[in-house]
Amino acid sequence: MASASVPGTPPLDPRGFLRSVPPFDSLDVDSFEMAARSLDVGYFPSGTRVLSQLGRPSVHLWLIRKGTVRLEKGGTVADHLEEGDLFGFASLLTGSVAFDVVVADDLLAYRIPEKVFRSLLSEPGFARFFTEGLATRLRTATAFPGDATFSLDVYATVGSLVRRPLVTVPVTATAGDAARAMEASRVSSVLVASDPPGIVTDRDLRNRVLAKGLGPDTPVASIATFHLTTVPSDTPIYGAWHAMVGAGIHHLPVTKDGRVMGIITGTDLLKEQTFGPLQLLKRVESIRDRDGLPGYGADLARMVAGLSAGGLPPTQIARLVSYLNDALVKRLLAFAEADLGPAPASWAWIVFGSEGRFEQALLTDQDNALIWADGADESAGAWFAKFAASVVSDLVASGFPPCAGGYMATVWRGPLADWVSRFRSWLEVPEAEAILKAAIFFDFRRAGGSLDLSPISRLITQASSNAPFLSRMAGAALRFRPQLGPFRTLRDEAGRLDLKKSGIAPIVGLARVYGLDAGATATNTLERLAAAAETGLLPQEAAATLSQAFPFLLGLRLREQLRAVASGGTPLNSIALDSLSAVERRHLKEVFLAIRDAQQDAGQRYHVSFA
Amino acid sequence: MSVFGRFFGPSPAYSDILFWSLDLETGGLATQRDPILAVGMVPIREGTIRLSETYSSFVRPSTAHVSDSRALQAHNLIPADLHDAPSLHDVLGEVDVRLREGVLLVHFAAVDVAFLKAAYTIAGRPWPAPRVVDTARLLERLADVERLASKVREPSFNLAAARRDLGLPEYPSHDALTDAVATAELFLLLVTKLGARTLRTLL
Repeated sequence: MASASVPGTPPLDPRGFLRSVPPFDSLDVDSFEMAARSLDVGYFPSGTRVLSQLGRPSVHLWLIRKGTVRLEKGGTVADHLEEGDLFGFASLLTGSVAFDVVVADDLLAYRIPEKVFRSLLSEPGFARFFTEGLATRLRTATAFPGDATFSLDVYATVGSLVRRPLVTVPVTATAGDAARAMEASRVSSVLVASDPPGIVTDRDLRNRVLAKGLGPDTPVASIATFHLTTVPSDTPIYGAWHAMVGAGIHHLPVTKDGRVMGIITGTDLLKEQTFGPLQLLKRVESIRDRDGLPGYGADLARMVAGLSAGGLPPTQIARLVSYLNDALVKRLLAFAEADLGPAPASWAWIVFGSEGRFEQALLTDQDNALIWADGADESAGAWFAKFAASVVSDLVASGFPPCAGGYMATVWRGPLADWVSRFRSWLEVPEAEAILKAAIFFDFRRAGGSLDLSPISRLITQASSNAPFLSRMAGAALRFRPQLGPFRTLRDEAGRLDLKKSGIAPIVGLARVYGLDAGATATNTLERLAAAAETGLLPQEAAATLSQAFPFLLGLRLREQLRAVASGGTPLNSIALDSLSAVERRHLKEVFLAIRDAQQDAGQRYHVSFA
Repeated sequence: MSVFGRFFGPSPAYSDILFWSLDLETGGLATQRDPILAVGMVPIREGTIRLSETYSSFVRPSTAHVSDSRALQAHNLIPADLHDAPSLHDVLGEVDVRLREGVLLVHFAAVDVAFLKAAYTIAGRPWPAPRVVDTARLLERLADVERLASKVREPSFNLAAARRDLGLPEYPSHDALTDAVATAELFLLLVTKLGARTLRTLL
């Protein structure tokens, strides 16, 4: 009996591989059939010049199945293409060859003949793929089918979903026996007792019996599937999704000690909706005292895992998380006020960093500060010190680790005038330390309290006319570079890529500079990019590309982090290269290249020497 | 096609030859007793595998004997698949046209050729005696070459393992057509690695 390998890349034959690669993944069935049936397969040892600038235009669309090729122009390498990459389309579209294409590592290529390529171009989605930029392609690549209206508890195992007793028929039974057994137990499949066991589903009764004109006397042995895809009962639920979607089945036998213990269906998986955002919000709102705090972080992680499995974009997940965290913080602030009595002055509880940008999905260190109104008397400081200590320790109890750098209200608190002069000094004397602080505190927003913070907001909008400050801020944004090697390849470190340093931090940094330059008070990376594009500081195409690249990177990181958390590990910012599909690797490379281009443009605009 | 009828003269260049890569799924290993369950064939023309010209079919069991369900499971088949399939005679008709056209390419040729010959006898057809190229033998040849070059490598002769060793992608197994394509790709790779230029060097 074969167990599904979960997760991992399944073996794909030429047809399966073609289907997994954009734009072929979105072709309708008939067009895809035409493409798949037209394929030819060629093998070219390294050094082969498969297309030449001096030669004839390509008569195929090439898809790399295995190996790599170099695009060369006048002897200089312009690009490296790898598994899942397409080439030859520019030549097909323009009738001339712009690059020599030389095999770098032995190439196994699937090729679509020109005639078929041309007729596929009549499909708008297919044609758009070759004519539009990276932004659009990324949107397609990271889009999930269907609505994210359900959530799953991915920490639970499939064993916990087996709630019905296993219904079995002997191998000598008939289709009629199987149907009666299903009807009696109100199930949609039965196990056929044999070695190895088989399965008959309601679908089999329809497709393999009724539709074939066979009767109830048909032996189950002739309609059962014996080559079962199964999962052990301790498989996490996302693993069950992988197995079912991967094998294209609706019924999944669950094994314990090698024996089938029950069968779960897709509906069983969908019913696992106990950790949706609304349930969690209710939970937060019903917290009456501090006994209700522990477990919040774990519940939140479950919700995130569920939403992520349900296909909600990571930027939207992060926004939900921020709302929930804010709801929790408001409870904690209320607890502290109840303990300490009324506040001596009006105040604001602010959060910054990723939380300030609405970009935190899983709980990381808390980053917060406290600001109160000017003119309060001397005793106010002591009250706010206790207030801050109470909230910070309650946050720790809820699952937010303390900030290692000490950026918490227990340290960072004071009257508004102090904060205004801090922000002003960072702007006026943009030394290295000041820029570091500005990059942290400029991404702030209010999570509680009612103090008017417009004096700080006004200062922030003044950054747009402060060229030395922007230049220093740009310099800081360019410190992290995408991990690209020579010839535009991904450069890993021991098989891993740091998504934060290589992609997320550079985009956040660029968005901050352009956003401040545009005079925007928004802290969210996507909003800053939009503001920069609106004022024309950033070309539309560049803004669109970065805005699509950002959720793509957040999504990859979140997937890895959830996987790590589910297996008891620590969520990291890096990702193993071999955990990426060919398509994801290619997108990642394009994203890194786009970031590098954007950094070069920013370097010129803000006069940063870009080594 | 005339080059194949000729037994004298220079050996044709390999890229001028039409190869038909073939794989059989059978009910067991006994050539005289076990049935052919499925056939997959794909041609290589001018050194290119043409998926647009594949031929594949299940084979309806010739006698009333119910196929061993174990064998079916191994091939991911259900009895109903075979029930509606064409007869052995009809399938061999399709195979025969192709075998008379070009060189037969098989991984571990001895087994499949023995099955085909037995099936031809049952169907009362004359065996066309195509030239046969065996990728398992080419693998042996490559191992010899590498041994001479003192690259120590324990060669795998199993189709999937050999492909993995040589850096070809992993394909799902136990489907006659997929295995025929897998064999054809392995062949293209071996031709390159062995530097084979003519048919004679491959036989």
